Amino acid sequence: MTEMTEEIKKTKKGKLERNRIWMSWTFVLIPTLFIITFYFYPMIQAFWISLHTGTGVNLDFTGLDNYRRLFNDQAFITAVTNTFIFFIFQIPLMIILALFFSVLLNQKTLHFKGIFRTLVFLPAITSLVAYSLIFRYLFSNDGVVNQALMFMNLIDAPIFWLGDPFWAKVLIIIAITWRWTGYNMIFYLSALQNIDPGIYEAARIDGASAVQQFFRITIPMLRPVILFTSITSTIGTLQLFDEPMNLTGGGPGNATTTISQYIYNLSFEYTPNFGYAAAVSYSIVVFVLILSAIQFRVGRERK
Amino acid sequence: MFSKKHLFLSASAVLLLAACGNGDDETGDTGDTGEETTEETSGDMNELTVWTWDPNFNVRALEMAEERYQEENPDFSLNIVENSQEDVVQRLNTSLSSGVDTGLPQIVFIEDYRAPSFLNSYDDAFYPLGDYYNTDEFADYKVAAGTVDGNVYNVPFDTGVTGLYARTDYLEEAGYSLEDLEDITWDEYIEIGKDVYDQTGIKWITNDHGDLGLMRIMLQSSGVWWTEDDGTTPYIADNEALKMAFEDYKEMVEADIMNVHNEWDQFIQTFNNGDVVTVPTGNWISASIMQAEDQSGNWGIAPIPRQDMEGSVNASNLGGSSIYVLQGEGQEAAAEFLAATFGSDVEFYQELVTEINALGAYEPAMEGEAYEQESEFYGGQQIFQDLSEWTQEIPEVEFGQRTYEIQDILAVALQDYLNGADLDEVLQNAQEQAESNM
Amino acid sequence: MKNEKRMKRIATYVFLILVSFIFFFPFYFLIVSITNPSIDITRGDLLPGSHLIENFRTMIETTPIGLSIWNSALVSVGQTIISIFVSSLAGYGFEVHPSRGKEVVYNIILLSMMIPFAALMVPLFRLFGTISGIVPALGIDTLFGVVLPYVSTAFLVFFFRQNTKMFPKELIEAGRIDGLSELGIFVKIFIPTMKTTYAAAGIVTFMNSWNNYLWPLIVLQSPSNYTVPLVISAMGSGYTIDYGSVMIAIFITTIPTAVIFFVLQKYFVQGMVGSIK
Repeated sequence: MTEMTEEIKKTKKGKLERNRIWMSWTFVLIPTLFIITFYFYPMIQAFWISLHTGTGVNLDFTGLDNYRRLFNDQAFITAVTNTFIFFIFQIPLMIILALFFSVLLNQKTLHFKGIFRTLVFLPAITSLVAYSLIFRYLFSNDGVVNQALMFMNLIDAPIFWLGDPFWAKVLIIIAITWRWTGYNMIFYLSALQNIDPGIYEAARIDGASAVQQFFRITIPMLRPVILFTSITSTIGTLQLFDEPMNLTGGGPGNATTTISQYIYNLSFEYTPNFGYAAAVSYSIVVFVLILSAIQFRVGRERK
Repeated sequence: MFSKKHLFLSASAVLLLAACGNGDDETGDTGDTGEETTEETSGDMNELTVWTWDPNFNVRALEMAEERYQEENPDFSLNIVENSQEDVVQRLNTSLSSGVDTGLPQIVFIEDYRAPSFLNSYDDAFYPLGDYYNTDEFADYKVAAGTVDGNVYNVPFDTGVTGLYARTDYLEEAGYSLEDLEDITWDEYIEIGKDVYDQTGIKWITNDHGDLGLMRIMLQSSGVWWTEDDGTTPYIADNEALKMAFEDYKEMVEADIMNVHNEWDQFIQTFNNGDVVTVPTGNWISASIMQAEDQSGNWGIAPIPRQDMEGSVNASNLGGSSIYVLQGEGQEAAAEFLAATFGSDVEFYQELVTEINALGAYEPAMEGEAYEQESEFYGGQQIFQDLSEWTQEIPEVEFGQRTYEIQDILAVALQDYLNGADLDEVLQNAQEQAESNM
Repeated sequence: MKNEKRMKRIATYVFLILVSFIFFFPFYFLIVSITNPSIDITRGDLLPGSHLIENFRTMIETTPIGLSIWNSALVSVGQTIISIFVSSLAGYGFEVHPSRGKEVVYNIILLSMMIPFAALMVPLFRLFGTISGIVPALGIDTLFGVVLPYVSTAFLVFFFRQNTKMFPKELIEAGRIDGLSELGIFVKIFIPTMKTTYAAAGIVTFMNSWNNYLWPLIVLQSPSNYTVPLVISAMGSGYTIDYGSVMIAIFITTIPTAVIFFVLQKYFVQGMVGSIK
């Protein structure tokens, strides 16, 4: 694509092409102006705030002190560790599940497709209030889940889902997967339509099995969208807030506290320290930058 | 060619925005007129805006106050803006710290634990109210929560006076009565609990390990907090009351008399389901307990246990909020309204008790007849009388600016301690961590 | 062979029904809850009760739920239409006419997506304080103010650019040969071809807008301008929460997104691109 444009540039750098370049900049500039005004500019201001320390409006310029403090802040280090544990298990699990469901629910011959799709998507729109109520209830010590597991002889004693540091993390991962799988499925479902069915036909004639088709055609064709979902999910997980806040309150102790929750606490729950909260926010930017750079690289490599 | 296309593009962008504009116009208009009327009246300040939470409690109380005040001031009205408490905190912080005063209310409710943070973080944002009402007539600890450098910034609202809510039928089953729970220490409380649990198999108490409300109750009954009187220096490692609270807590867990719940809804579920014998907490829990109509007559309220140390009393507090006025246009009108209602109206306090079980910290109100009523649900006990008496005994403590911050540090410490770590070490760590955050 | 296929089909349906049950269960609880009094909800009652009308009445009497649904609808529909159009234009532009300069701009856009919104709130509110001073109709406490930061989002620009990578570029050349302008190609070829991408973006944007919480909370101040999540959040706060009316409010306000999803997912039919080609 790039080569093509460059070629055009070289051969007929005429009026027409100049127009195209102009137009393409217009396409891009309107949204860019909005994003710079409403995100990038506040982001720079947030960085400026992160160089200040104090409570509320009583801020003093302290340079990089806030960033230095991060390295010695036990609560921050725990939050980062927790967030990364969620990230490592959460992202692959959810992406694989979402891919699986989208292919399953994309079969031409499947009946009640619309209903099944809606049901899988439903958790994404079920209000947090309702679902945290029911999750806490289902996963309480004598709740339905423990009873079922004990009935199936999978466990001897009830699992202390909300009170045990390990199981509380598991619960959070279950909850996020349950809530966001259907959401990610939408992106794959829509992208699947853009694959030319002829390619599958040709593969079938060559005797490729369904599994082979999935790995040799579906996955490579969906690569741009998989990259999109993995990066947006990375951002979502590194900014994870709703589930720990509503399900476990970050507990037991601080076993499920996330970076975003810590930012919230620093800004509003404790005496407001916006400078330090902004510094913690920028740590998320750094983490996401590193992780997306890796993902972009992996996503491009096999092109 | 280009200019034509360009024109078309910008034209379509304008059209699009305009189209959206039309869509929004209708509410935009109502919004605008709403704003205008606020601005118009804000000249003579007949309508005051209030930010608060809790539709069944704070909002109802305000509506009742508004109605009473209107009898003398027919043009007066309140614009009550309802959000959750977290949301009020968030909006207030965002507005005050950004320096944008558009839309800020005249009156705002703030939880007592959070008040020192706001008062110290935003100088000159709040309007002093000490001259508008007689602060001596209120429980000292309530007024203290809104006082900075000798200036009183709050009008107290509900007291968080605590009681030991107990199931009298379960107690009887184990051979005890409510009197056995009166004027006891936490150690005695635990001993009785073990016995009742042995006999009935029903848990004695329920708690969320992440919510250190029980510790706050214990500390305040002994007149201390987890910060020193300056409101910022951590007071953890050498804090005898805190140490004792941790030990008692662990004993309850190890004796297996404590049910562990998570979050508010499970807390309510536990006692509504009859899964627990006692609930030591703030009096605002009454309404939730009374939801279980089938348990009527089976509940009673004893004074909260005290710590086994000098100076500790059988009275404490948990939660509760006060009312504040923001500096700016309408501050006097707001202060006058609050002074005439929450600050001095004995009859109003009777209504609060009768209508919504809201208990204020206003001493003269106790003489009213509403406080003498006997509650059928609580076995005929004069609960308002009892709770108000305990209110007067609540020790005054300086909540300081770090209540929730240090609570989070202590929640981790508690977890470590429950898992077998040494108490002194755990508290020493917490002390150091709290100091390093200063 | 035929038998095996049949077994496979049955297994698929059994699996799907099982999975649907898991995904549906909390929603089932929500439906049951709207018929129960508060106390039964916190008790975890999983059977329908007879409290539906009372819950409904409490909700209507104590909350401005109707008005908030109207406000949310305006905001969500407006935001969805505008931001999808503007953002897809950019995603298309970045992918179809790439250049070094645009890559720099694109990276800035992506960067802006990485910071938690909580960190932007105070500066953004300050910015809106300024906007309010100049054009009050776009500023604080207006529905425009809710939409403005989302006229274009990095998320959607990114989404459209990634999907444009799957767009058959031959169609652009074909359009040029037919004498279509660049915008003409976008409107007449790109949009119809990428219908399913637009459907997905529509679902997601509508849902995000409908459920958006933090920014409306900060920017809206008059209850008459409140959107749905603000009203529901206020209902669930206090010493004694009436879960019955909270649940019915949640239930009613969940329906629009579910319907939008159900309608738009019909566009997810394989072979769309092929048929246009």
